[in-house]
Amino acid sequence: MNGTQIALLAVGIVFVVDVVLLFGLITLKTVHRRRMERHDRRRSAYLGVLSRRMAFPLHTDYIDPKVVSDGAFLDAVIDLRNTMAGPEIETLAGIIDRYGLVKRQAAHLRSRFPLGRRLRAAVSLAEMGDESSAPVLIEYLNDREPEIRIQCARGLGRMQHTPAIDAIIDRFGEESPWVRSRFADTLVGFGAGAVWSLLAYIRVNHDHGENEGVIEAIRVLGTIGERDIGPPLSELLSVFQDPELKIATIDALGYIGGPLAVTPLIGFLDADDWRLRAKAAHSLGEIGDPLANPSLRTSLEDDNWWVRRNSAAALAGISGGVELLHEALHAGDMFARDAAAEALADCGELGKARERQERGQATVADLQLLSFMTEDVLVP
Amino acid sequence: MSQARKVLVADDSEAVTTLLVTALEMAGYEVTIAKNGNEAYEMGKTGEFDLALLDHLMPGLLGIEVIAKWQADGLEIPVIMLSGVDDERTIVDSLDLGAVDFVRKPFRLPELMARIRQRLRD
Repeated sequence: MNGTQIALLAVGIVFVVDVVLLFGLITLKTVHRRRMERHDRRRSAYLGVLSRRMAFPLHTDYIDPKVVSDGAFLDAVIDLRNTMAGPEIETLAGIIDRYGLVKRQAAHLRSRFPLGRRLRAAVSLAEMGDESSAPVLIEYLNDREPEIRIQCARGLGRMQHTPAIDAIIDRFGEESPWVRSRFADTLVGFGAGAVWSLLAYIRVNHDHGENEGVIEAIRVLGTIGERDIGPPLSELLSVFQDPELKIATIDALGYIGGPLAVTPLIGFLDADDWRLRAKAAHSLGEIGDPLANPSLRTSLEDDNWWVRRNSAAALAGISGGVELLHEALHAGDMFARDAAAEALADCGELGKARERQERGQATVADLQLLSFMTEDVLVP
Repeated sequence: MSQARKVLVADDSEAVTTLLVTALEMAGYEVTIAKNGNEAYEMGKTGEFDLALLDHLMPGLLGIEVIAKWQADGLEIPVIMLSGVDDERTIVDSLDLGAVDFVRKPFRLPELMARIRQRLRD
């Protein structure tokens, strides 16, 4: 064989292999598509049978016990579970129990492999939200696979299984940021039921090495926004060593709100760390209590731009704060004047002043703001 | 014998449509399904429905867009809006646009059926 023949042979072999692979791929896709179509048809049929049971609980449509091994039946049950609320869920729970769906999925979760089946089992248990699956979901909060841990926590949250709260919080310090944030979402779903456990976790674990778990717990408290937790959380501000913990707490107090959070936050407007001052100003703006106005006005003259900016933005949203911003346009400190003018523009005061001016109804404060913004000077 | 009242059910979730069709047919109504907003709009234009159950978030036209287009065509089909989105703005917009009721998903089937019966009695 000469070189040309060898090259042609090689090209021919590559062509044949490509054709075989392409054919194999098309066959696999076709088989998969047909399998999915059959799956969807069975799922539709199951939805029909289950719907008749839901709409009329005494309906006697026979459901073959073998359906427990059919993924399409499980999908139909989960779809209906996500569609309905109220006591009729009990009918579905009865079917889940009678056909042993939880037991089967729990067994899959307990098996060592394959991962896909274990993950599907965790998702199915989470979606079914059946109380009987709580023990296995708690057990697998420690699974080696992060996504399985996430699904177990989600399922426990879905069924509002409060005994699981501590088990989920206990994992906080050991988890990666992604898993921790998903656990946090679950805890937020528990609402007020989770706040005291979170506070206990924060009290015990703060300033012991890494604080990421504690910071996440503080963020969860802020998102839940339960007022009763404000005072004890404020007290921890004086105990924390890590500034990041203080920043997270000040931020959370802004969302929790309530009059008892205002005084400690005002105190932090004088903190040595500018990040604490800036965050305190922001949180006071979130709470919106006019008690903070004088201190926020003082903070307009802070050395740090973020503190000035956040203080001005906070005043713009608090009753009586806009008047203080107008007054600050006369401040001796040029940075305070700039911060006030920027906040007045951002909160729409500048636009309103222009409209009033066009209608010939501008007030003295309007004219002063307009002249400051256009010429950087105040009219007398 | 009186003619069965006609109900249009528009939702992209097969579980929702199957459940509602089953319950409505058992209650003696004649039901038609639309799988997206455009289909619902076209079916509604025939003017043969006594009530429409529209999902808010559907492929194609949104539920409130379907209502708006029916109104623009001069059709007055009573609509019960179904939605998994329960923010106040969606509810207010739906009712302002002319929906007669708003039901959050997941829903309680007996309660939804009672609302449907009430609307079809009016």
